[in-house]
Amino acid sequence: MKLKVNRTTIEVFEGAEIRQALLTYLARRRMSLKFIDQLEVFDVWGHEIDQGAPVSQYSQVKLKFKN
Amino acid sequence: MRKFVFALVLLLAGATAWAGPKKELHILSANDMHAAIECMPRLGFVADSLRALYPDLLVLSAGDNRSGEPLNDMYEIPAYPMVALMNIIGFNATTLGNHEFDSGQQGLAKLISMSSFPSLCANVQPDAKWNMHVKPYQLYDCGGIKVAVLGAVALSPMGIPESHPMNTTDMKFTAPLATIQQYQFLRQQCDVMLLLSHLGYETDVEFSKELPWVDVIVGGHSHTQLKGGELHNGVFITQNKNRLQCVTHTTITVEDGKVVDRKAENIAIRGQQNENKVIAALVEYFSHNPAFHRVLAQVDTPFECYEELGCMVCDAYKQEGQADVSFQNAGGVRYDKFAVGGFSVADALRLDPFQNEAIELNLTGKELADMLVKCYMNDNKVFPYVGGMKAAYTIDPATRDIKKLVLTDEAGKKLDPKKTYKVVTNSYAVAISPTNRKDAGRGIGKITAQLVMSYLEHQGHVSYQGVRRLTEKK
Repeated sequence: MKLKVNRTTIEVFEGAEIRQALLTYLARRRMSLKFIDQLEVFDVWGHEIDQGAPVSQYSQVKLKFKN
Repeated sequence: MRKFVFALVLLLAGATAWAGPKKELHILSANDMHAAIECMPRLGFVADSLRALYPDLLVLSAGDNRSGEPLNDMYEIPAYPMVALMNIIGFNATTLGNHEFDSGQQGLAKLISMSSFPSLCANVQPDAKWNMHVKPYQLYDCGGIKVAVLGAVALSPMGIPESHPMNTTDMKFTAPLATIQQYQFLRQQCDVMLLLSHLGYETDVEFSKELPWVDVIVGGHSHTQLKGGELHNGVFITQNKNRLQCVTHTTITVEDGKVVDRKAENIAIRGQQNENKVIAALVEYFSHNPAFHRVLAQVDTPFECYEELGCMVCDAYKQEGQADVSFQNAGGVRYDKFAVGGFSVADALRLDPFQNEAIELNLTGKELADMLVKCYMNDNKVFPYVGGMKAAYTIDPATRDIKKLVLTDEAGKKLDPKKTYKVVTNSYAVAISPTNRKDAGRGIGKITAQLVMSYLEHQGHVSYQGVRRLTEKK
């Protein structure tokens, strides 16, 4: 399963949740995995989604750091 | 002029007489609760409060009521606590989310039989042998407003809900949109047509183009936080994030059997005060479940370090996941000592508390080695524990990077870099170890703590004193 996180396409295992996709994204970008809890995730419509959401529901998500 | 005013008065009086009184339908909806039992007392309070104002309140769940909390999912009757709590809150219906199938066919049939509310899902037809009472729809009379509620669940590209395939054998699933369209006749039988959808927000929006005869979609699955509700192609859609962070209170105004207004507001649940005390007492009861102290196996010699417990976890992955080899990120083993005696369910959940899913991958020896190194790098440079193999690695003392890694099987023979091995690990380790591998992996439908529990039950006795599989060289 592939998912575009910001502008990076990543591949995750079947059945993955957004949280796991974000960990893969951070690892790929060589960013600290501790950032995971500081990220807010939005769908292409701009709705906030939670990290437990199934990746299969999305082709693209955008990240923002929490204020 | 007088004649004109008189005619106008008559006209207005007539119009008033023809128009029926406006009525309001109130709906309280939750989705993707994922067994957040700690939030149920607050949800009960909110339902009670709204019901005091609107006695005909309809309380609905858009599915995924279970999976996410061991107190619920590992109860003697798995997932029964949520059913009991939903019964007492007075849910009127749920649809089946993909995680409802995590109970397996018999488990789900039992839960449905214990529910005081119907499970509505039009695109599921269980084989009669399961005795599973799933209905496509239900009609309600809410203070004179006739409401039809139709349920549907999303299917993966395999044509089944996203659960382990074993959980859905002997069940027939049909394409959601085509199935929903078969129930258009309900429009003639109701004032409000409601789709209880576990299809996800984007699908709900897409389907709204094809379903002009539906008034409201109470949605779930994608964990999308909407601000109240949204109108798409004339269909009103609601949904919230998961684990009861919010629920939605929707008000639908009906006049002359037609919906004339729809509005919705979010009500915060998680972390809020005011609870239903009866439900709080029930949650307390479920939280002190004696079944969690059930002994799974006897520990014959004490565990004296993380690696010994890590080896046991990896053996559980290998045996219960029917793998050739296994590994576990070091940070996922949460304690390093365990005395001789009984090892209980609670001990297993303390050892592996993260609710990670077990993942299987088919990897070559080379891909496995690359993945272990990546896992090491992203798990604070601590080497993962392994099962079915041993690892000898050489560390650069200055950077602590791995310079060389040799993997051998249990007999001491080197793993073949080109041969494919079936590997089981956890979802966290897979996520933090992105490498160029052909197989991205797949969940096996169990959390890793379940594998540990099954392994201990199958073993009866365990002894890992002195077991070492990792050798670090500098």
